[in-house]
Amino acid sequence: MHRILDILSSGIHDAKNQLFLAESLIAQAEAEHGLKLDEARFAIEHAASRLSRLLTAYKLQRKVGSLSIDMVSVPDLLEEAALISASHCTHLGLRLNTESPQGLGWLLDRELLLDILTNAIQNACRYARSQITLSATADEKGLTLKVEDDGPGYSEPDVETMTGNGVGLFVAAEIARMHKSGARHGKLALANGGRHGGAVFELFLP
Amino acid sequence: MNDRSQELYRNLKFLVIDDQPNARQSLRICAQTMGAFAVEFSSGYQDAIVRIRRSTPDVILCDYLLGNDRSGQQLLEELRRYELLPDETVFMMVTAEQSYEQVVAAVELVPDDYIIKPFSPDRLKFRLDRALQRKRFFRPLYQAKRNADFDSAERFVAAHRNSEAGQPYRFELLRQNAELQLAKGDPVAAQTAFDEILGLHPFPWARAGKAKSLQRQNRFQEARTIVEEVIESSPMYFDAFDLKTRICMDMGDYEEAQRTVQDISARTGRNYVRKRLLADAALLNGDAETARSTMEDVLQNDIVHGEPSISDRLMLVRSHLDSGDSFAAELALRKISAQSLETATLDEKTSHLALRAILSPDEARARFGALRQSIETAGLGATAQVDVIRAALILDEQELATRVTAALFSSDEIRRVFKQVRTLFESHGLESVFRDLQKQAALQKIRQAPRS
Repeated sequence: MHRILDILSSGIHDAKNQLFLAESLIAQAEAEHGLKLDEARFAIEHAASRLSRLLTAYKLQRKVGSLSIDMVSVPDLLEEAALISASHCTHLGLRLNTESPQGLGWLLDRELLLDILTNAIQNACRYARSQITLSATADEKGLTLKVEDDGPGYSEPDVETMTGNGVGLFVAAEIARMHKSGARHGKLALANGGRHGGAVFELFLP
Repeated sequence: MNDRSQELYRNLKFLVIDDQPNARQSLRICAQTMGAFAVEFSSGYQDAIVRIRRSTPDVILCDYLLGNDRSGQQLLEELRRYELLPDETVFMMVTAEQSYEQVVAAVELVPDDYIIKPFSPDRLKFRLDRALQRKRFFRPLYQAKRNADFDSAERFVAAHRNSEAGQPYRFELLRQNAELQLAKGDPVAAQTAFDEILGLHPFPWARAGKAKSLQRQNRFQEARTIVEEVIESSPMYFDAFDLKTRICMDMGDYEEAQRTVQDISARTGRNYVRKRLLADAALLNGDAETARSTMEDVLQNDIVHGEPSISDRLMLVRSHLDSGDSFAAELALRKISAQSLETATLDEKTSHLALRAILSPDEARARFGALRQSIETAGLGATAQVDVIRAALILDEQELATRVTAALFSSDEIRRVFKQVRTLFESHGLESVFRDLQKQAALQKIRQAPRS
């Protein structure tokens, strides 16, 4: 089983290296010829994160996934997640806002959370009419990260049903659950309504 | 990207380290898109060290895999341990490996940040901006640490634990404080500081830090228990194996020390710092053959620093001696040039003389005798002291051997070399002399202990 995992990991590793070269060449062409090829770069990064997510999902399914917890700046996390999708949102004519308490730090797995938030924002991009808000709030119980849009909302705002439909939500639900503090663990919730009246993707981390 | 940040990046010196030409090209494009002007390249480990020595970069972008059985992590450790890289330089690890996070969680010396490929120049800039901001904030602390000015360093940490400017760095300040207490030599305060961090999350590095604090308080068994738990739960945390080795050496458990470092050394390839530790442990454990083959490997292959150091050469001489190969020991000793001895430390000079005396007693007797006075007053380290004891016993200078051993007994250093020294006395039929020294030291301790 670990052999298969090694083969998958190294294949994905090589593919991502090549995608990085492609993205850099595009960046160079942009700089040299004054082009704007944001969507091409976005497609490359999108493909790369899908590959990583598949690998994460495989590890979770095989129960060999683990977290790397560190103290992470929450405003930076949100700002970076927004940065990854910024040009794509602009391209679609969508406003992407972030809201987070200044100076807030949290113990979490930065790379996995970035991937989960990026995926949630990109899902929101497909349905939002004009805006998406990425927000963080914290109290003594935990940290709540939300991605809200003004689209038509989830057809079925139920985590159990929805996680069967895609790798992204499956990974989000599992990774949230793996974040623990004492006896409490994180969770994923989906709802309709929220501040923009559309879909609400909500991650709670203790 | 706005003009001001372009201006900032234009003035920074970049070094891109990657063994793959395509990847170097990609990183160069990224750096130039951010506005960088001075971008130097390096194709691998040794070349990178040469370049960094020649001119210190402000930002290093280093791929995790450097080919030739070398990693960016090894490079980082080498640079930090030999103080080739100031704290002010940003070391950014670049990798396509998603699981690199696990690597970072399992090392003591971490890069300033890392980024997983592929990424846009914007994102690299986002992370570099933050790393540079953090460096600016901590600059006074770095300076104080470099000057071993612990008071200033502590004042900096205390001033910012609740300051607004320090808010984003509160956790980093906790870690800096804990490490500062260790560096300052206050292991009790260090233990408290690591406990505060462990109250948040059981980070392996903080548990190892606590073990180190206990070790420095001579609470070896507790330290060993914690470090063994770290090894059990984070088997990728290689530094914990080194720490366990040192604790076992302190406890006189040479066998377990050697076994621990030998296992991990076999898994970490060309980590020569670790190989030196293996040679130390093996020699203490009486496995001179392993010590000698390990030191031969170090001298032959760790060529990053140019000529092998005197301390490495001396270690090889000791290993040959313990293997009973005085011919090889003699050859190895002759490789130490008179010129290099001029800049050697007092410990090295003393060891050199002692080993010379052991190999050719008649020739060296006079010079060795002349050193008698300085040997007593110099405050030598344990290794040099053991060399002197050994030479003194061979030259029939029993009184000198006894005095140096008594000095060893009065310090904590005896723990690590106790069995070694006892064996030396035994091999000259002087068991009773050694036992007397041990008794006197014990009595001395009892007399010095505070009355309850």
